[in-house]
Amino acid sequence: MRCQVLTVVTSVLLYAAPASAQVELGGTYAIRMHEDYIERGPGSFLGDFTGMPLSDEGRAKALRYSSSLPSTIERQCLAQSPWVGLYRPLALRIWSEHDESGRVVAWVMGGDYLRDTVRIWMDGRPHPSPNAWHPSSGFTTGHWEGDTLVARTTHVKTAWIRRGVGIPGSDQSTFTVFMTRRENLLTITTIQEDPVYLTEPHVVSRVWEFDPRGSQGPMRDTCNVGVEIPPLEDTGEVPHHLPGQNPEADYMVRTYNIPREAAMGFAHTLYPEYRKTLRSTYKPPASCGRYCCGWIERQGLPGAAPGLTCNDGNLPAALRKALTSPER
Amino acid sequence: MDCRSLAIAIAVISLLPVSAGAQPRGARASTGSARAEAPIDLTGQWVAIISEDWRWRMITPPKGDIVSIPLSLRGQQAAEAWDPAKDEAAGEQCKAYGAPGLMRGPIRMRISWQDDATLKVETDYGIQTRILRFPSTALRAGGTTAASAARSWQGHTSAEWVVRGGGRDSQRHGSLKTVTTNLRQGYLRKNGVPYSERAVFTEHWDVHVLPSGDKYLVNTNVVEDPVYLQAPFQTAIHYKLERDTSKWDPTPCDARF
Repeated sequence: MRCQVLTVVTSVLLYAAPASAQVELGGTYAIRMHEDYIERGPGSFLGDFTGMPLSDEGRAKALRYSSSLPSTIERQCLAQSPWVGLYRPLALRIWSEHDESGRVVAWVMGGDYLRDTVRIWMDGRPHPSPNAWHPSSGFTTGHWEGDTLVARTTHVKTAWIRRGVGIPGSDQSTFTVFMTRRENLLTITTIQEDPVYLTEPHVVSRVWEFDPRGSQGPMRDTCNVGVEIPPLEDTGEVPHHLPGQNPEADYMVRTYNIPREAAMGFAHTLYPEYRKTLRSTYKPPASCGRYCCGWIERQGLPGAAPGLTCNDGNLPAALRKALTSPER
Repeated sequence: MDCRSLAIAIAVISLLPVSAGAQPRGARASTGSARAEAPIDLTGQWVAIISEDWRWRMITPPKGDIVSIPLSLRGQQAAEAWDPAKDEAAGEQCKAYGAPGLMRGPIRMRISWQDDATLKVETDYGIQTRILRFPSTALRAGGTTAASAARSWQGHTSAEWVVRGGGRDSQRHGSLKTVTTNLRQGYLRKNGVPYSERAVFTEHWDVHVLPSGDKYLVNTNVVEDPVYLQAPFQTAIHYKLERDTSKWDPTPCDARF
């Protein structure tokens, strides 16, 4: 009997030894658009590939993009890259799924109408065969390193990886993701490697803030499709620009005086030494012309205060009202 | 296993150190030097990858471009009044190179141990030096406090390790937390978007390693300023470790470019 008791005690002690650190990630996190506001808010300017390490093929494909292209039914879900949420203007909801013993089997990041729900498997299952199905969420596994959840996503679909500008990611992309929660702040860093459309890993890091009263809005993790431009229906026409004929290819050069190679996403323009080139060529625009004070607009606070030149980009009245309504 | 062996096993288990995984949040090791206790290695040359906000970080945006920064009305007015010629005349070309602006700049930084309780962060951009002081440094210096020191572009930074794991069955992990105060008034953005001398700059430094061995440093930071901000300014900035240090290029502060 004594021996049986000892056996039970030993088992309990061994079971109770923590295998690794885990942080509670569950909850809703409010977005803080203090970085890449234009990409995440109104959407990228056409022809703005700044900050991207695109390959020639990636650049060519992005320049073929027309903003009417997402209106074709076959392409309306191309925005569903699993980690494109880092370029979207929405809050984040995370919850855990458990097995019968209460152990976390997966952390789940809720989707929205243009981003599939991402499930991060924590139970040690392997990634499927390279030939397995590629869902729009990809396939993601994770483990803890201290307070950081390290995840790896494979099996993604070909997608657009930055909002509204046609920058492509191939189905050979993989993502390494680091998620660290400290008190109320959640930092997510994604490192995307793509042998087709990138020349080096594309790194994005963002911050969200825990918000117990937050709401992500309707959870719709299936991309809805529908005819948005009736004249395109049944015509077989695919909106596009032929090589060399994208009228927005020089938008950033014309508007912000930046070199074309920077606007076109060459990797060497991402590093400090590129400023040597910029120093001799860049002349700042005389004034800020569009989306100059976006954060303030979205909070419903005074944008262009009397006597100040803060320019809201001439938002349509209906959109301005929607962005600044008290319910928002 | 007989009962005697089992009893010995229980005794051994009970004497093992408690896993650091059970430490309270923010637990800090209490023995040894900060250098010896470091759960991560921050030393080396790191380069900022400007894959975000390129147009606001690589070049000086036009006056009045304050998008994405939660300025108060007073902050907006100050940004509108930006005059680089005035800064140059006042010898304040480095206003955009104070810690909250510097870290978001197009920088290379070299991090090294100045002594066992002090990390030194040098940048080529603006030729600035930040000193991150772990507690014992201040004590060794005779109890110098932030409040008694002169304000500077880099202010006074206190540092502490946040350690996780390291006990039985648990690998040691962690991050660095720093808090900077006593700053001179400066710019969050090169085009005169301001922070005041009352700003508090809190940073969390994480090192992430890819299977390839590439190392990334992610600096999650918050600027709180009751004068020029109406909400905390929260960003995460990433850098990559460079093995080739030949691109280090010290350049002085420049109020315009």
